[in-house]
Amino acid sequence: MENRHSTTRELVHGLTALILSLFLLGVSSGLGVIKNIVDIWGAVLFIPEYPAVVMREMFLKWRSWSNDTNFLNSEVTRLSNENAELRLELAELAGGKIYSYDKKQETRTARVTLRAPMSWWSEIRIDRGGNDNITQGLPIFSSGYLIGRVSTVSVMSSWAELITSSSFMIPAVIEETRELGVIAGDGNGSVLLHYIPSGRGIRSGMKVSTAMIGEQLPPGLPIGKISGEFTAGNDGYTTYRIEPGANLSRFYTVTY
Amino acid sequence: MTLIILWLLQDLLTVFTGGGMQIPGLFMLGLVYRLLVDDGSSDVSLWAIWLSFAGGILWDLRWIGIPGFFTLGYVVVILIVIQVWGIIPPQGRVSGTGTIIFALLEASQLIPPLLPVLILGGNTGWSYFLRQQVYSLPAILLTMYIYLRKTRS
Repeated sequence: MENRHSTTRELVHGLTALILSLFLLGVSSGLGVIKNIVDIWGAVLFIPEYPAVVMREMFLKWRSWSNDTNFLNSEVTRLSNENAELRLELAELAGGKIYSYDKKQETRTARVTLRAPMSWWSEIRIDRGGNDNITQGLPIFSSGYLIGRVSTVSVMSSWAELITSSSFMIPAVIEETRELGVIAGDGNGSVLLHYIPSGRGIRSGMKVSTAMIGEQLPPGLPIGKISGEFTAGNDGYTTYRIEPGANLSRFYTVTY
Repeated sequence: MTLIILWLLQDLLTVFTGGGMQIPGLFMLGLVYRLLVDDGSSDVSLWAIWLSFAGGILWDLRWIGIPGFFTLGYVVVILIVIQVWGIIPPQGRVSGTGTIIFALLEASQLIPPLLPVLILGGNTGWSYFLRQQVYSLPAILLTMYIYLRKTRS
């Protein structure tokens, strides 16, 4: 009996709550006062909800920072790869040998075994040949500056033509102005730079190196510097005297 | 007190997720759990009916803006739980009731959010509803585990 009574009570209360809910659902949407109650309840909950709001903002900031970091890392990787590809492309455009000569390839030394008085400014013989991987056209250096290139290769020795030789002609560039000319010796110990257009502000002390347009020698090999004007022709071109970086009167060994 | 904390926790988690994730109805899980643990006394049942009513109104005022949607759902759930649980004799409530427990707990997560979807409609509503069902499943299983552990110990 008591159990039935309690079940009836539950049913009555349940149905009352149900009817109230339906009443609220049907009526409240049209009541303006509900908006005020919603606002008040939102204001009351603002305090307990505040930590969740702060945590959410922190989480969003962290996620934004994380996304930005990932984006920046991927950009750095992409740009690094692009930079490496551009370096490679540049090296290929520059002949692909700039770095190998200056930075990577191991420098070897050869001893000058003959410098004939009759061809003092033209050629020398060195004690390295085909067995030492010497090839025709290989540049040789003294004190880090170009002094000539291999002209004839034997098994045990080689002959090299010096830049002071009158038959030695290579394209060169004035590094400061990028003017192109031709380096040639006069056979008497002088080195000249021909075919530089007049009036281009060329001054003594400007550096000269091999030019990119040469096929036999890689570009960028240092030769020397301009020491002064030699002749100014009527054709609009000037020839300059070059002071080689190496001491061509006193060298006993060369590097290649 | 526990139910107030559960209501607030549900509210805080909803604030934290910003609506991006549907939070399980922790308040109703707690309320149904309390009814199941209780041995069927009338006072607890009446208390549960009006507490569900109050909890539903407050939830509607906070997140829906129109009182009645969750209020109705909460009350319906409690009435179902009271009736179903009243049918099972006290001796049978301890063992062999896993499926019924799961069904009652699932009803607490299924019915309240279903009413707004049915009344208001829309594909988005259904998508939210389905997601909530998925997210609430671990909470249901955890509550069920706690209940079975408590009753069998």
